[in-house]
Amino acid sequence: MLTEGGYPYVDGEGWLWCDRLVRGLGHHEFDVYAFSSSEAQEQAGWVPLPPQVGRVRTAPLWGAWGDGVVYGRRARRRFSEHYGELAAVLCAATDPLAPDSRPARPGTPRVSAEADRFATALHGLAELARDEGGLQSALRSETAVRALERACRAPGALRTTREARVPDLLAVAAHLERALRPLSLDWYEEDGLGAVDVCHAAAGGVTALPGLLAHHFSGVPLLVTEYGVRLRTYYLTRPDSPPAVRALLAAFHGRLAAEIYRRAAFITPGNTHARRWQERCGADRAKLRTVYPGMDAAPFAEVGEAPESADPHTLVWVGHVQPAKDLVSLLHAFAEIRKEEPKTRLRIIGGPCGPEGAAYLGHCRALAAQLFPDEAESPHSVGDNPVSFEELGGPELPTPADAYGRGAVTVSSSVVEGFPVGLVEAMFCGRATVSTDVGAVVEAIGGTGLVVPPRNPRALAEACVSLLRDPERRARLGAAARARALELFTADQSIAAFHGIYLEIVARTPVHRLLLDATGDPLPFATPAEAHVPGHWTDRTSRVLPGWAMDAPVPATETAR
Amino acid sequence: MTDLGELNRGTPPGAADPVKALLHRHRDLCERAVDPLEIAAGLEAHGITDRIAARFRHRDVFSLAEELYARVPRAGETPQPAPTEPPPGTGTDRTALILLPVLPGALCAATVIALRQTHGQTGLYAAVAGVLAVTLALRAALRRGPLSSLGPTRSRTATASRTCWLIGYALLGNGLLGTAITGGPDGLPNGTAEGDWPLTVAPVLALALSCAPAAWTVRLFTVHARRRLRSSRGLEDLAASVRPVLLGTFALYLTALATLLTASSALLDEPSAHAETLTLGALLFLARLLTVHGFTHAPKVILTLTVAAQATALATVFAARLPGCAPVDAPVETLTAWDPAALPALTCGAAALTLLIHASRTLTRASAHIPPEQPR
Repeated sequence: MLTEGGYPYVDGEGWLWCDRLVRGLGHHEFDVYAFSSSEAQEQAGWVPLPPQVGRVRTAPLWGAWGDGVVYGRRARRRFSEHYGELAAVLCAATDPLAPDSRPARPGTPRVSAEADRFATALHGLAELARDEGGLQSALRSETAVRALERACRAPGALRTTREARVPDLLAVAAHLERALRPLSLDWYEEDGLGAVDVCHAAAGGVTALPGLLAHHFSGVPLLVTEYGVRLRTYYLTRPDSPPAVRALLAAFHGRLAAEIYRRAAFITPGNTHARRWQERCGADRAKLRTVYPGMDAAPFAEVGEAPESADPHTLVWVGHVQPAKDLVSLLHAFAEIRKEEPKTRLRIIGGPCGPEGAAYLGHCRALAAQLFPDEAESPHSVGDNPVSFEELGGPELPTPADAYGRGAVTVSSSVVEGFPVGLVEAMFCGRATVSTDVGAVVEAIGGTGLVVPPRNPRALAEACVSLLRDPERRARLGAAARARALELFTADQSIAAFHGIYLEIVARTPVHRLLLDATGDPLPFATPAEAHVPGHWTDRTSRVLPGWAMDAPVPATETAR
Repeated sequence: MTDLGELNRGTPPGAADPVKALLHRHRDLCERAVDPLEIAAGLEAHGITDRIAARFRHRDVFSLAEELYARVPRAGETPQPAPTEPPPGTGTDRTALILLPVLPGALCAATVIALRQTHGQTGLYAAVAGVLAVTLALRAALRRGPLSSLGPTRSRTATASRTCWLIGYALLGNGLLGTAITGGPDGLPNGTAEGDWPLTVAPVLALALSCAPAAWTVRLFTVHARRRLRSSRGLEDLAASVRPVLLGTFALYLTALATLLTASSALLDEPSAHAETLTLGALLFLARLLTVHGFTHAPKVILTLTVAAQATALATVFAARLPGCAPVDAPVETLTAWDPAALPALTCGAAALTLLIHASRTLTRASAHIPPEQPR
């Protein structure tokens, strides 16, 4: 298993599902190869590992590396050849991900000349790193920058790259150096990644690069799981760079993604949204298997079985407060709701996410105080605001299940969302939901909740009011939501799916290894030739026939017509 | 599920060209985008899903993004303005820039004054304390501020030991050589410029004082080189424009060192040893400049060679006293007879010249000026 900034680290993102997967498949042996994304993460330590994890190897993707190896003339020429090839492919004026006009037939992978050149250059660099070491220094050296400049100025290069200035070239070189760090790791030996049966990358992009190389060096099949497509994240996280840098790096990440999808035995997107991106990036549909991230349903069982525990006049919002969640629109919608249903209350539960989130939370609090004055039941009691901001983990709300349990309706007003974990939790709790149509929300909710367009407070308000006024519909939707969540999104489901995929990969693409005798020499005829025949070769009936032999005979009348 | 078409009345369904309105709304995104996928990612971040794309008569967001990408005019694309320079630095940066490099010089001057005022045991204590203080200050100045390098520690200690030797030679070496040739030394140096084994304090004081101009000129070079980097279009361009900056910086430092040396020699009543001090200063400055920019290998080799040359010269003088080895020290003796300071001046000068040639090749490259990675 390959992870980046994830699994064995305590504060790694997405470690939960990795942990669940590793614990769930106790009869498999796992080796974890992890990249750490920052120094703080490395110092925070690891989560406790279950016994089926054989060994853990980590490498940092941050900080300065350099092994001080200076290349000789021949190695330098080899490097400059491969790197120049890589740069030339990146600068080439063809869209790396342009969908092929011809419909792809299964079994005949369409490979453009550019994709092939990219793969060759990548493998060339990896082999150079394996033979000589010292790739890091070379990637930062003047040779690399010169190769980039040459490629950018070459005829046939993209127009944006032709305008690249020296700082742009340096930025690209530095980024490529960081992205290609996995090439110089020593993980691909016979006792490392070369010895595993399946390589499961927990994310695409650079994280899956070791898997790609293991596939190249030792033929290990690769399985890629992506909950958020790396290419898309990359586009969203670098908006300020100059156009030349963005063009080159987008080409690099696009080609890398395409290459990974091409080599992978299976790709498991976490939702349809990711799946669409992967298809767009050239993933073969036959390889795609959507596996929803599983969640532990047990903590929500109690709340989910008792739908009557909810306060019928309370809306609940749960999540990390940040601008992408668009709480402002929720507050405006709530103002509309109050006009229709004056007894309604809104509970916003969750802490801020980062300094930006803290500022946004302050802004929302101010807005709530402005929109809704404190109100009291009688002239003699202390007033209270109908909008309350609370945090999880306190004595009032120890678990998320309690948070969802308090409200009759769970609201989500995000404008950007990947897989809506909060909504699925609400579904486990058997609560009706009103959410905005972003990311994978519709796919998760199915028909068990109301979905409105994002940034539309009036629509949100109308949907909430209709649910608040109709307890019966609320209960019906809630029950349906719980049933749907239990069927699709439990941890067991996803573990079983991965188990099946592992077995399928091993069955389809077994790694052929030389069997060695006691002295370490290869054993001739250790595996009979028939072992490579798919299916039971002793059984006559299930013999595999070529495709043309299986086709139904075309009726003569059809051809005659 | 609620019907989306009814709820979202943002775009009238009968409009002739709904994509145009969308294009107008996301003009910024579309003009900046380098490929359709970037527009697709941006649109999704703005909440546009396949369902909304269907209202623009597109199968999905990707084909909508492709249309937007094709339709946006990008002929008159203006190059982005160069990114603004980082602010000159916060309070701690400024301390590191101004205060720390002055510290070794100030402490060295204080030590020299203390040595002049005291005698005997107290003088020894003062000398030890002064050397310790100057070393610590130098260390601090090299750790932070413009003279700090990001290189690995191990080459740092290696270079430090060689630098110590060179400075020690500037302080004691000429005296030792002079007295060794005439048959000495008969005792340890007595801490003054007279006697059997004289100390030459002025060069060391000037070198310590020149830490400050060194730091400032290195900083000047870095800033100017970065500016050239931002404005140049090609690597050849860059090399041609950085080379004068490098030579100018070097000349500026040498001028500052010469001035300081003249002043300190006049104050201490010592003969000014211009040739050897200037060459030694140039050597140390270039070595540090290269180290700061990440080229640690060449300075290490050159410093080692210089140290080896000086040590060999000293050793030959002593070796000549062995029976039968008298002609060994002939070259050194001839040199010293010609000019007492010729040996350090020649060794350091050759080394500095080599480093200058090396620096004018490496420091004009773009890869020397990659800004340090932001710690995450």
